[in-house]
Amino acid sequence: MKILVATSGVPFIRGAAEILAGSLLEELSEAGHEAELTVIPFKDYPPNRIPDQILACRLLDLTESCGIRIDRVIGLNFPAYLIPHPHKVIWLQHQHRSAYDLWDQPAAGGLVHSPDGPVIRETIRRADRELIPEAEAIYTQSLKVSDRLLRYCGIAAAPLYYPPANALLFYKSPPADYFFFPSPINAANRQWLAIQALAQCRERVRIRFAGEPGSRTQQAECVHAARKLKLNDRIEWLGGVSEDRKRDLYAHCLGVVFPPADEDYGCVTLEAMLSSKPVITCSDSGGPLEFVLDRQTGLVAQPTSESLAQAMDMLWADRGCGAAMGEAGRARYRDLHISWANVVEKLLC
Amino acid sequence: MRVPFVRGGAEVLAEDLCRVLIEAGHQAEIVAIPFKSYPPERILDQLLACRLLDLSETGGAPVDRLIGLKFPAYLIPHPRKVIWMLHQHRQAYDLWQHPLNDLHTYANGLDVRSAIHAADMKLLPQSRGIFTISRNVALRLKAYCGLDATPLYPPPRDGGRFHTRPAEDFLYFPSRINRLKRQDLALRALALTRSRVRICFSGPADDRGFERECADLSRKEALQNRVQWLGAVSEEEKRDLYARCLGVLFPPLDEDYGYITLEALLARKAVITCADSGGPLEFVVHRETGIIAEPTPQSLATAMDDLWDDRDRAKQWGDAGRQRYSDLRIDWGNVIENLLQ
Repeated sequence: MKILVATSGVPFIRGAAEILAGSLLEELSEAGHEAELTVIPFKDYPPNRIPDQILACRLLDLTESCGIRIDRVIGLNFPAYLIPHPHKVIWLQHQHRSAYDLWDQPAAGGLVHSPDGPVIRETIRRADRELIPEAEAIYTQSLKVSDRLLRYCGIAAAPLYYPPANALLFYKSPPADYFFFPSPINAANRQWLAIQALAQCRERVRIRFAGEPGSRTQQAECVHAARKLKLNDRIEWLGGVSEDRKRDLYAHCLGVVFPPADEDYGCVTLEAMLSSKPVITCSDSGGPLEFVLDRQTGLVAQPTSESLAQAMDMLWADRGCGAAMGEAGRARYRDLHISWANVVEKLLC
Repeated sequence: MRVPFVRGGAEVLAEDLCRVLIEAGHQAEIVAIPFKSYPPERILDQLLACRLLDLSETGGAPVDRLIGLKFPAYLIPHPRKVIWMLHQHRQAYDLWQHPLNDLHTYANGLDVRSAIHAADMKLLPQSRGIFTISRNVALRLKAYCGLDATPLYPPPRDGGRFHTRPAEDFLYFPSRINRLKRQDLALRALALTRSRVRICFSGPADDRGFERECADLSRKEALQNRVQWLGAVSEEEKRDLYARCLGVLFPPLDEDYGYITLEALLARKAVITCADSGGPLEFVVHRETGIIAEPTPQSLATAMDDLWDDRDRAKQWGDAGRQRYSDLRIDWGNVIENLLQ
């Protein structure tokens, strides 16, 4: 099949969406298809530029190329998934969230602060409501994205999970004395909550953080908080680590701490499961909750420092329980059929 | 601007430019907008789509320069845009009513052509400068749109890796096999040569029908043992063929630029081209670095005989061509200096 993967991108910025598109392209080629990526540049400010770019996508024609039919278009994110095609499948990574759940979050684009914000929000929602259903099939990257699509647009779609990069290379080793917290350091990933929780642990719990700081201030705040709470000797900041090193840190940890606020998907959960480690997450963490079964493959705490501290204490004190949860997590990963073969089959059927 | 699943000179040029900009210490990225040129009304849709994009900033930081290469992507607005035109939409210009194109056969063809002309004339001047990849493209822009532009020649890929060797008994014709490249003209000429000239063709066939016609023609004229069809060859094989040939045969119809001429100059080989070949005429100096023939089998045959019979002169012309290449300052440093000034 000739397949075009259509996505929107912000020039000079490479994020999770670009990595996913790259992986998908590779998998499609390996399955014997001719696949190519088309990236439409997207700029979401000032807000009135957004409808222009919706229209631009609608004006493109990907039905054929030099007289030869393009058999399938796979749309990934807004507004590229609105490009028309008679055999389009949407694998929805993101709608334009500042027109939906992040509408009143100033950090997420501030559509709400613009005088024409409400009109533009309605334009985006209408475009999604009316044009997404043109697709022959609609999948999402996670249950959360499905829920949002159903709640705001009344469109039903099943989640289609994909494996983390290099899934086969994850392994397990006997646990050492630390929890692993692998995430870019920023407010939404809540390293700060883990630090507060650590101060309330009864056990001498230790955490190793890996990940680039989102900004220098965010990193500085965390370091400062740890110092104030006298936790320096129980915390390590590893910064960005190589993929190899990251897998080692997973393999040797006691468990993975992953308490983000309302994460969409979160490969961290899957990487922990591949390493046979229990995951501690929070009841408002979003994506991880699709995979973590409370008290079976990990612990779902309340998003408070006390509750998170209790969860960490429990796994720290009872190593056998942690190991059993880790094994159960590995088994659950297998049962979920999270594989590229499954993704490719669903997107092309 | 690109046609999905097709990789040609434009894609190679965009990648080379991007790489050279990065090597010069800049952050550079390619934006490729998919383009489909039929039915005609889709051209205007895509023209509008380009006008609706916003590349002025990205993630809050200004994009300092936009370099537009092809229609309609070169019409994307930007406050600091420079155009380095590969070509306009030729079906609306010099290839209008050309037998190989069909825009004029559509009921709305004329309207679409006018709209393309109007867009180019009105919007191209909204840039800080207009360069073209060849004088041929600049002349066309002047003739049809009244706009001035400066030619800025892109060097061929891996220019440093071309080399030369003593001439062997064949002329080299490296081009994709399609009607515009006129392999058929070369075969008809070959049938008329006095000497037993031999031609080695390389390049994949774009047009299977035309490929068959060429094969039939060489059979009909009993030329089979004087022509060789190598199909697609690797870059290394190609450079080797350039190095070993007696001269390069490059008689396309109104080529925009033509890396082949430059590659021949780099390999110190004389070039035979035609008076209507376009791009090559900017580089080939008649009877100094090659021969400019009339686009007829007889004239081309005479040129091939000329080169075949006097090997020393062919070598002199090849050496003179290499000198001309140096004199023209065809290098990436010169290109980015102009595009960023």
